[in-house]
Amino acid sequence: MAEKTFTVKVEFPEGGEETFEAGAGEYILGAARRAGLQLPSLCEQGWDLACAVKIVEGEVDQSDSRRYFEEDRKCGFALICTGKACSDLVIVPYQSKQMRKCRDEHGLPAPRGT
Amino acid sequence: MAREMPHATGKVPPGDVTQRVGIEVMEARGVNVEELREKLIDAIAAEFASTYYYYTILRMYLAGHEDYKEICEDARLEDRAHFELMTPRVYELGGSLPYNLHEFADRAGCPHAYLPGTDNGQHAPEMGDGKGPSAADILEVLLDSERCAIRTWSEICDLTAGGKDPRTYDLASRILNEEIEHEAWFIELLSMERDGVVRPSGHFRRGEPGEAPYSKNRPLYNP
Repeated sequence: MAEKTFTVKVEFPEGGEETFEAGAGEYILGAARRAGLQLPSLCEQGWDLACAVKIVEGEVDQSDSRRYFEEDRKCGFALICTGKACSDLVIVPYQSKQMRKCRDEHGLPAPRGT
Repeated sequence: MAREMPHATGKVPPGDVTQRVGIEVMEARGVNVEELREKLIDAIAAEFASTYYYYTILRMYLAGHEDYKEICEDARLEDRAHFELMTPRVYELGGSLPYNLHEFADRAGCPHAYLPGTDNGQHAPEMGDGKGPSAADILEVLLDSERCAIRTWSEICDLTAGGKDPRTYDLASRILNEEIEHEAWFIELLSMERDGVVRPSGHFRRGEPGEAPYSKNRPLYNP
């Protein structure tokens, strides 16, 4: 049986949008690359915040991420390098500074340079 | 028409010790010095806390694989050399190491290379059968760690290339040389250990443990 797929819409902060399909079992960053879309990333293990996105709509499974907190989810952020779509998504990339601000507000660790 | 001379655009007066020409010339070339400095601290925190420290534990669990243990030891000591090499640059750029080791470890740009089976360092590995984590499990951690380091130092090189910051570029590219070698080592070992497939690194052993042929040049103070 074919793997279930979800539609991921990327809304860029400077304007414009792209859409691609992501399988339920694959990482969103990998699906974006497969579709020819380059999004920022660094550690690719769900630790640093280079790949942070704001989730406008939908849900992401972060169980494979090395460091992801419940507060991150409550603030509406995901790490797409190790995040899997659980539904259709609308996301905004380039959110590392905003996600770090959320971490800071909750006294949680984060790299300072990304 | 006046020629473009970014080295001559400074405002630091003679005798002023509160500013650095070494920073001014970078800013004149468009480098965001504060952002670069913070990235460097994240990067050396990863070298020291995510790899040097945790590789010390990983190698302890490679008993029976003495060749793997030696190669892990080379990577461990060379990652420490990377921390030593780049730390002075952080100070030159007006920064410092965090005054609390926990803060330093927490801001590492790469994941801590925890020993498999410890629930991310929460407890000792299950040793019921006396075997502990497999060599393949440990090699996977080592490989992914090196790959994060390659991306990290490549970004630093990208930010400083093209004459914008030759000093940081030189130091980062030396480190990058060794991280790329480390990846090749662990691909070779993991490929054979886990998959039974030969993927040669093309390298021979270091002359001495932690030789660091690129990042530990003798003219630099880096014991």
